[in-house]
Amino acid sequence: MAWQNPNGLVQAMHSIRQAAPLRPVLQRSVISRSPIWSSSTTTSLPKNLNGKRTYATEETPTSFTAAPPLDFKDPRIRPARLVPASPSYFSGNPKFIDHLLNLEGILAANANLPTVENSQAPRMAWLKLPQFRDFVGEQVPTKKYKGLLKILQRLNRIDPELMPENVGRTIKQFVRPGNPYANKPAPATVDEMGRARGRGKRKSSSAVAFLVEGDGEVRVNGKTLVEAFPRVHDRESATWALRSTSRLDKYNVWAQVQGGGTTGQAEAITLAVARALLVHEPALKPALRKAGVITVDARRVERKKPGHVKARKMPTWVKR
Amino acid sequence: MVSSFCWSCLTRLPTASPRPMLPPTLTAQRVAAFHTSSPLLAMPPKKKAPGQQQGPKHRTATTFKMKKRKVTDRVRPPPVGERRALRKRIVLSNPNALEVADMQDISAENMVDSRLRGSILGLPVPMLDQLRAVQAFKPKQGWSIFRRPGTVTRRETVELGRLIDGISDKPEDKSKVVKRIVTGPRGIGKTVHLLQAMSMAFTKEWVVVTVPECQDLVLANTSYAPHSEKNPNVYVQNQATAALLSRTVTANQKVLSKLKVSREHPALKSPLKRDTTLEALANIGIQDPASAWPVFQALWTELTATSPAPGFEKDFASRPPMLVAVDGLAHWMKETKYRTAKYELIHAHDLVFVQHFLSLLKPGNQQSVLPNGGILLYATSASNSPSIYSLDVALERVAARQNRVYPSSPDYPMPTAFSHPDERVLAAFESSKSSVPTEGTLTLQTLAGITREEARGFMEYFARSGLLRQQVSEEWVNEKWTLAGGGVIGELEKLGRRLTVPVQV
Amino acid sequence: MVFILGVNFPERNLVKKSLESFFGIGNHTSSRLLARFHIHPACKVGELGNKQVLDITAALSDMKIENDLRRQVIDNIKRLKETGTYRGRRHALGLPVRGQNTRNQIKNAVKFNRIERRLG
Repeated sequence: MAWQNPNGLVQAMHSIRQAAPLRPVLQRSVISRSPIWSSSTTTSLPKNLNGKRTYATEETPTSFTAAPPLDFKDPRIRPARLVPASPSYFSGNPKFIDHLLNLEGILAANANLPTVENSQAPRMAWLKLPQFRDFVGEQVPTKKYKGLLKILQRLNRIDPELMPENVGRTIKQFVRPGNPYANKPAPATVDEMGRARGRGKRKSSSAVAFLVEGDGEVRVNGKTLVEAFPRVHDRESATWALRSTSRLDKYNVWAQVQGGGTTGQAEAITLAVARALLVHEPALKPALRKAGVITVDARRVERKKPGHVKARKMPTWVKR
Repeated sequence: MVSSFCWSCLTRLPTASPRPMLPPTLTAQRVAAFHTSSPLLAMPPKKKAPGQQQGPKHRTATTFKMKKRKVTDRVRPPPVGERRALRKRIVLSNPNALEVADMQDISAENMVDSRLRGSILGLPVPMLDQLRAVQAFKPKQGWSIFRRPGTVTRRETVELGRLIDGISDKPEDKSKVVKRIVTGPRGIGKTVHLLQAMSMAFTKEWVVVTVPECQDLVLANTSYAPHSEKNPNVYVQNQATAALLSRTVTANQKVLSKLKVSREHPALKSPLKRDTTLEALANIGIQDPASAWPVFQALWTELTATSPAPGFEKDFASRPPMLVAVDGLAHWMKETKYRTAKYELIHAHDLVFVQHFLSLLKPGNQQSVLPNGGILLYATSASNSPSIYSLDVALERVAARQNRVYPSSPDYPMPTAFSHPDERVLAAFESSKSSVPTEGTLTLQTLAGITREEARGFMEYFARSGLLRQQVSEEWVNEKWTLAGGGVIGELEKLGRRLTVPVQV
Repeated sequence: MVFILGVNFPERNLVKKSLESFFGIGNHTSSRLLARFHIHPACKVGELGNKQVLDITAALSDMKIENDLRRQVIDNIKRLKETGTYRGRRHALGLPVRGQNTRNQIKNAVKFNRIERRLG
């Protein structure tokens, strides 16, 4: 297509052409007008090259003026056939395209409003694809719905204080009923005996650590650190969360760990202690993240498969 | 005649078609295989690069060559005892380590000084030979990383120093006997505690009798024989006894050479002269191991004598207090590797040597077991020890009695049902209150980790010896204290050694 | 060098191993012999007392070892052969006697029956 640009209207036209059975009249009219169109695009092209994004509702400068709208109330002007209410009536997904055009219009109108970071924006549970298909009653392709979601996300990022009322209302349409993000786990607290509890997993070990303010005593399964971990490296990794924040002599640790080997157990304790430490001092989160004890290592041993020697290894090739 | 191939495999025979040039892999892959074994699933190997496939560049002989068997000249095995000596070698000095300037030696004055807690007290150089003689040092205790050997003064050390000082010098503690079993987890410093006791005893000129490794007596590596015709079920170990005598003589030569015999010893083969020193008496046993046991008994009666027999008054000097140190007690609580004539295992309590040392734990009859005063220190080992349930129960009982829980109480530790405890082991540690007021009952001393202040002193000693490049700060010491499982000194030593800059050899 | 039952043993050898060099004495018998005379298992030949050497020699001379034992074994086999038993035939053929399979993995079984039982 010679005149292809990221223009919504052109896309709509495209989809109309693809979806609807070729109507000779329309086809002809488009073809007949094509020289004019091409001339118009040539004039508007430099503007697009400037990098400014244009939207469907923006007026494209044309060299001709459209005929005045028909006033259908005038009894003299009576259409030969029924005119559809939506201009995208003849596209494959008219309702979807209506929504898309509407959102693009809103975005274009509010493009200049200040935005916030993604993490700061209120978390919204957008309709899932099947739900959206039910909502519009059309088979919307996945990719197109993703494009719609992108616009919704962008609108959602508008600073909540400056969010225009109509934007908020429009966005609400696309949110799942109920609020799945309302059920937040209760924040862990230090119990009445001053203990904070944290759990951690690594490889096939799982650990529970209780942290109380104290002077650096560590017990693992009732044993001292030396008895539990003969290797110094394991001892260091088990206490790493406290060591990296220089809190090793401020807390006592009482941990229970089971499953796996020594390395897994030690690193499961690391994670458990870090989580328990966050209960005592939430402000340590950036420091702990930097120390690498917040991130869960979700790797597990891959299972062995039939026909393989190990998880992936194939038997050696034998001639014959 | 059986066909050499499987009929179902015929499908995969190479065809006599005009395309025999195809690589066999292709044909094998195309034909549907009847067998579904996993080798068939495997991928064919990658072709080698064309350069590697080519044969030899030049014409070379292709005759078969026999490989000649290489004649390796056999190296003579090292002489007998050399490898053992290398294994047991103890290095006490590292000339590359720095000399710590103001390090004090252990002496009669500073062994009671509680201000020295946490500092390192060096062992005086003349005493090292004595300590080596009683095998107080063990390999792998880290003596070889410092300039000269020294030990950390911890709370228990000061307390022990006061005890030894009191028994030697204070009239109210004269002839007091302290009986202790030292336990604790691995690396906590039990053996070094014994070493400190020995060094203090040497400074006070006590007589030190040690069994540095209980295991040596039960491994069946030394000779044994029935004790006598009268009691054939008790066995003497002559070589082990001679070794004990030689240890005692070498370490305590200064003391023993001053003391003279105080009575007749009819058990010995040849009668002794009146002015025989105790050193000479012990040497008889060393030279003739067959008589080692009677000689040891004679020496023991001499050392525990309080008054001379009639006629021996002239040369009698009062006997010094004694320190008896035994390390690795658990090996004495089970059956040995020795066999009776009927091929049954001999219990360790049937060895006369072991019997003698275990009987010291019981209260003596009429007079205390060490009438001239002294200390019995029996240490268990956590690294080389058989697990003996009866011993665990027996030690729990000792601790319970110490806490005034008596056998009549329901809280008194009992072995669990059907555990078949060794009654002899349980009986060995039953000790009632002695009739002699100066003789203490058996107590259990459980060593724990050193405190943070003591740990700090220890780590500073590393730094001042030039082995540590870190700044020894409060926080750093606390961190190491926790990593060492709450001040386990052996682990602290490993950590300190880990931080050294490796020396290029 | 110490003579035990007419055989000369170097002093550095273990007593236990030296005893086991006799035909008919293995681990079981030798360790029992040592226990009977209160010799520890790590004892070297040189460390034995005179009395112990005499005791061992006396004990060994009472036992059926060496040629006596070999002769007994040969006689037993001979008896089996003469009575024409299956076992006797197997002995004569040098094949396994005790019902082992002979289809495969027979090397060891044949080897054990091929040892010449001559008098040493």
